[in-house]
Amino acid sequence: MRTADVVIVGAGVLGASAASRLARDGHRVVVLERGAPGREGSGTTAGNLHVQAVHTRRPGQAVPLDSARFAPLQRAASDLWETVEDDLGASVELRRSGGFTVAETPEQVQELYDKQAWENAAGIKTEILGGDAARDALPQLGPTVAAATWCPHDGYANPLKVTPAYLDDAVRHGAEVVPFAPVTAIAREGGSWRVRAGAREIETPVVIDVAGPWLHKIAALTGVALDVAPVAIQMHATVRCSSGLPHLVQHIGEGLSVKQVNAGNLLVGGGWPARRLNLDGRSDAGVDSMVGNLALAVRILPFVRRLRLLRAWAGPLAATPDEMPVIGEVPGRPGFLVAGGTYAFTFAPLWAETLRCLVAGAEPPVDVSDLGPDRLMHNLPEKKR
Amino acid sequence: MTVHERDVVIVGGGPAGLAAAHRLAAAGLSVTVVDEQAELGGQYFRRPAPEVARVWGDHRPEGGRLVGAVRAAGVECRTGHLVWGVGDDGRTLLVCDPAERPVRLRGRYLIIATGAHERPFPFPGWQLPGVTTPGFAQHLAAADHTPIGERVVLAGSGPFLLPVACSLLDLGVTVAGIAEAGRPYRPSTRALGTVRHPARLRELAGYAARLARARVPLWQNTVVVRADGGDRITSVTLAAATAPTRPVRTVQVDALCVGYGFRPQTDLARMLGCAVRTDPATGDATPELDDSGRSSRDDVYVIGEAAGIGGAPVAEVRGLAAALDILGREGHEPRAGEVRGLAAAGRRLAHFKRLTDALYPAPAELARLLPSALPDAATLCRCEAVSAGEVRGIARTAGRDVNAAKAWTRAGMGPCQGRECGFAVTAVTRVSPADGLPAGVFPSRLPVRPVPVATLLEMAGEGEPA
Repeated sequence: MRTADVVIVGAGVLGASAASRLARDGHRVVVLERGAPGREGSGTTAGNLHVQAVHTRRPGQAVPLDSARFAPLQRAASDLWETVEDDLGASVELRRSGGFTVAETPEQVQELYDKQAWENAAGIKTEILGGDAARDALPQLGPTVAAATWCPHDGYANPLKVTPAYLDDAVRHGAEVVPFAPVTAIAREGGSWRVRAGAREIETPVVIDVAGPWLHKIAALTGVALDVAPVAIQMHATVRCSSGLPHLVQHIGEGLSVKQVNAGNLLVGGGWPARRLNLDGRSDAGVDSMVGNLALAVRILPFVRRLRLLRAWAGPLAATPDEMPVIGEVPGRPGFLVAGGTYAFTFAPLWAETLRCLVAGAEPPVDVSDLGPDRLMHNLPEKKR
Repeated sequence: MTVHERDVVIVGGGPAGLAAAHRLAAAGLSVTVVDEQAELGGQYFRRPAPEVARVWGDHRPEGGRLVGAVRAAGVECRTGHLVWGVGDDGRTLLVCDPAERPVRLRGRYLIIATGAHERPFPFPGWQLPGVTTPGFAQHLAAADHTPIGERVVLAGSGPFLLPVACSLLDLGVTVAGIAEAGRPYRPSTRALGTVRHPARLRELAGYAARLARARVPLWQNTVVVRADGGDRITSVTLAAATAPTRPVRTVQVDALCVGYGFRPQTDLARMLGCAVRTDPATGDATPELDDSGRSSRDDVYVIGEAAGIGGAPVAEVRGLAAALDILGREGHEPRAGEVRGLAAAGRRLAHFKRLTDALYPAPAELARLLPSALPDAATLCRCEAVSAGEVRGIARTAGRDVNAAKAWTRAGMGPCQGRECGFAVTAVTRVSPADGLPAGVFPSRLPVRPVPVATLLEMAGEGEPA
């Protein structure tokens, strides 16, 4: 049986970035991936870098996320994204061209002011513009926009380039990436973990579960039930259009993100639910969400009405009951760490650095003590045992 | 938005869809035919523009008669209607009318007769103006009486190149030559099947004789390896199919039509949940069907070229077979001898198809042959300007998965949704010539055709979930 210093389960953006950081620290890292790298949530995400405080609910989301708690994490992630391309020596189409979060109702306008207080406290620079000032700054905005927050740091990176770039870096620093190797067993023996994937068995002191929608299934292999549920959301791409949309556009009260990618297509998303979650194949996009999301996009950016919708696709993500990220060691499972939850793409450089510090026993760049997996173990049979 | 409920909804008004529609409506069922074109007929029975028909007549008057009979039988003909998706868990077709308004259609039976699209394969210069598919040249000739060029080379593979060459000759075009990748035209093949398939063979022999009289060169075992020109193609370079890296001939032309036959258009059938399998001879996703065209979904039939390439006569037989199966399930008595006659015709045509298929190289063989002559710098996906080299590079690192190749290079992400480049991306994704065809084709995704956002808005405005 071979040994490793760290076994990472999942070659999405979190697994890839964590592998890169840990391999650079000199650890012998093995990444086990059930399919092809970066093809699930990390390959289907919109690629937004959310720096200003986000809207608090996906369509259909039961519990709002805690935007105030998010802000310092977003600030820290934003700083790290600044150096990702230099650090990896690769282009990931990183673009920090800023973004608007629009409000339509008086209540939503008030939310812009509420969130600006959190942004200011976290050192995130934002500016609130009235409707006309916002339309002066971004003429494509429609007449219902009553106000908008401008944040110069919002941006985009091509998710189809970020994960491969991190994986390449990890491999350059000695990590081994094994695609098509689903993990089937994780056992505690003699003070270390034995991770099995097919015929392969690896002994390691540290296992990092960054399996995205399968996060809870991997944790279950150690006898832990985590209250994390996979959900599938969908994205939409229009045909290319000549009218340039230079900034990310989001909505404070409803699920909407719109931007133009380098190829010229508009990507329209906002966390709308897919028709069907399928963890054994591809999840399907549905018509209801397509209609709802596009109608919202047209209300905020009326020029979208003149375009054709070219493609829709769906991808899975791991949702926690409180919609907050999860990161840390599982209580009672020494050396077994998990990381995941929503906005994982934005947070990837931050969670990679945090995992590196947790493995090294060092102080993480941000306080994550309240984001550990312990809170997800409530009210589950395992807790009572 | 109201849902239009019919006994049978047929998608596609070509030979197969029209034959099925006519038979079903004649038996009293309520039938709707949806077609994205402005007039019924499909590709084979494409109606000439009225101005053209007045002066030049109708190139296929039997198509006009069939369309007339379908309308007379009371079939609701929704032309100019684009089927872009499926809603209500596969029960409703989501359609966009000519004014971009949404329409929802539901049938107790659905017949998918979406036809085929041509199978191009790229070469350096295939993006030059003047380079088209044979099918486009045929449309231009038949519907608009307009020649694709003055001096034309036809290339690719399959029997379709012959009637296109004849159509061009009829317009006074100089057909500088026909390059066929296989070696189908040998003296011994002339006698093939003459006893059992006189009509179809006479048709092919008639084309061959017409081409011989016009002294059109027929280059066998020959493929296009490049096209050159400035604003427009001026020359085409050909090579032996078995040694495609060594050019043998350059021909001056102002138009070049290249196509390696046809691919079944199955995206809508796949979106409806019909089981498909990868045809080992073609590499295409082909629906699993019984003899009547019934799919794994009991209420969905797939007929015509969408069920597998066979030509217009096969398409009509498949259309009738599906119609008779539906009528049987509805308790109608078949006409005397109708079922037996149809089965016999089906057997005859299937035999003929096997014979002709055997004459021409199988697409899977072409997929092994053609990529070796395609340099890395050549454009593979025209919509997204992705080179062959980019896809090869990804194939080496991401394995042979066409979807990884699409995701990482954008090949197939453009407005054609992979219809133009899908065969080539699949062929090039193979890591080495020793590999078989990689599994998988581009998946069927919503929308199956680019849909106007305005149509979606109207669906949202109606406030009804789709």
